[in-house]
Amino acid sequence: MHIDYSLLSTEIALAILGLIVFTLGLTLPSRSTNRGLGAFAIFGLLIVLGITVSFWGTQAELLAGMYLIDNFSVFFKILALVAAILIVFGTMSYANNNLSRQLEYYSTIIFATLGMIIMISAGDFITLYIGLELMTVSFIILVAFRKTDGHSLEAGIKYLILAGVSSAVLLYGLSLIYGATGTVYILELAELVTAGTISPLLVFGLVLLVAGFGFKISAAPFHMWAPDVYEGAPTPITAYLAVGSKAASFAILVRVFVGGLAGMQEQWATLLAVLAAISILLGNLVAIPQTNIKRMLAYSSIAQAGYIMVGLLTASPEGIKGVMFYAFIYLFATIGAFVVVCAVYEKTKSDEIASYAGLSQRSPLAAAVMLISLLSMAGIPPLAGFVGKFYLFTTITDNFMWLVYIGLIMSMVSVYYYLRVALVMYRDEPTDPTPIKMGAAVNVTLIIAMVATLVLGIYPTPLSELSNIAAQSFFTW
Amino acid sequence: MINWLGVLIFLLSGAAFGVIGIGISYLIQPRTKNRYKLEVYESGIPVKASAWVRFRNQYFTYALIFVIFDVEILYLYPWAVSFVELGLSGLIKMFIFIFILVLGLWYAWKEGAFEWR
Repeated sequence: MHIDYSLLSTEIALAILGLIVFTLGLTLPSRSTNRGLGAFAIFGLLIVLGITVSFWGTQAELLAGMYLIDNFSVFFKILALVAAILIVFGTMSYANNNLSRQLEYYSTIIFATLGMIIMISAGDFITLYIGLELMTVSFIILVAFRKTDGHSLEAGIKYLILAGVSSAVLLYGLSLIYGATGTVYILELAELVTAGTISPLLVFGLVLLVAGFGFKISAAPFHMWAPDVYEGAPTPITAYLAVGSKAASFAILVRVFVGGLAGMQEQWATLLAVLAAISILLGNLVAIPQTNIKRMLAYSSIAQAGYIMVGLLTASPEGIKGVMFYAFIYLFATIGAFVVVCAVYEKTKSDEIASYAGLSQRSPLAAAVMLISLLSMAGIPPLAGFVGKFYLFTTITDNFMWLVYIGLIMSMVSVYYYLRVALVMYRDEPTDPTPIKMGAAVNVTLIIAMVATLVLGIYPTPLSELSNIAAQSFFTW
Repeated sequence: MINWLGVLIFLLSGAAFGVIGIGISYLIQPRTKNRYKLEVYESGIPVKASAWVRFRNQYFTYALIFVIFDVEILYLYPWAVSFVELGLSGLIKMFIFIFILVLGLWYAWKEGAFEWR
């Protein structure tokens, strides 16, 4: 069988990059010289990003539909790579000072990214599962990375067990769908599953699939791992979990549900709507009493998963466009917030919200970025989050008006706990008034995140156009 | 449904084999009870102590490294069987595969997994 390897250049380049980083780390004489690995990883990731961008506009399938390359997958691949680059770049000094093993750290991050990219492009269940597991196993290692820290190990074990359970549920769901239809290919599935052919077996498989994916995107009621894991994991990894893992999981959620099971939309739309509503309610309400900023952001990310799920309900190009747009702006807001968390942790060795007192005096830039990121997540105009929520919720005003109300009310509730952090940062006097010095890389990352959040809020047209094109390509198979 | 009749007969006759065998031996076996009969391994090596002994957790690194060779054999064997059909491209792919595995071994070596401390 002839395989066009050039279509796989992104994946091959990323795998080679991971192996080179690993080999370099092994051959370099001592741990102290390994510090260049981060810079090398960023350089390599930038090249891979360039290769991925050059695929924009390609529409092709490999191995009889096992692997799909279209603008939709390229869009999410760019998202995953941008997330990896910004996180590695913005937290390099944190990683140098707090994580002793650079070789394992950087190569595992690259392999996690590779898993995401395989998953995003997957055209059948087997490829999907391989990508998912590559990502999950890498993340288990990364979550438990601080070997001497009890919290990190606890988070690692929780993530290991719950990721295992969710994978089992997901696999069972996939096997039932295979049993009911006789195919593992998503495109074939779309032809086989039409309104008249739905068996109870298929519905059962669908429910298990929702549960399995629910774990991965940390939607309530499958969210319980998220707060503990987000709190215990090293902060860069928390950021990557919140952005990369979630975005990639949403990509395959869209691919399987809207792409493969569109014929069963009646069955899953209500289910997902209820899940979205629970996530929005629970995420926002439980975030209120949190005192640890990473836990607060974890609950807020559960709520964000609920918002993004709204885009799936209509299975329309507009909805998918909303998902993609929101995923991208959520990336900048989340990375902005977490890079600030990293920078503050380096100085204060604390993730408590109380330790952010007087941050506006100690580091005006960090405080400003934190404020803008949080307000964007809350959906305050003119920031990007408002535009994103607008795109998402306008798609469902016909059928799910109740969900729109829940979304609006809970967005207002979320402003309360987001602004509480702002209040601590701007009103309270700092206990230790020494300024927080941040490296140039941190400053650049923060400015990128801030500018992107502001610009995309005021002038969203370019990204909106791109996600429109990507959403269209998804429906042309 | 008639297609499944064969499966049913298979299951029943399979169960019958077990039941009849054990049943007959239960009926005709001579029953003697002594010390040797009650040992864990009858006619085997005499039991020295409990099997619940503690051993070093460093064994687990050996188990992990074993996986490297295990996976290697798992894929090398089918490749060797169809070596001629796969030709040069198969050889190159196999070298890439082994290279990645060797990286793992190299890493384990550097981390001191082979030193018994």
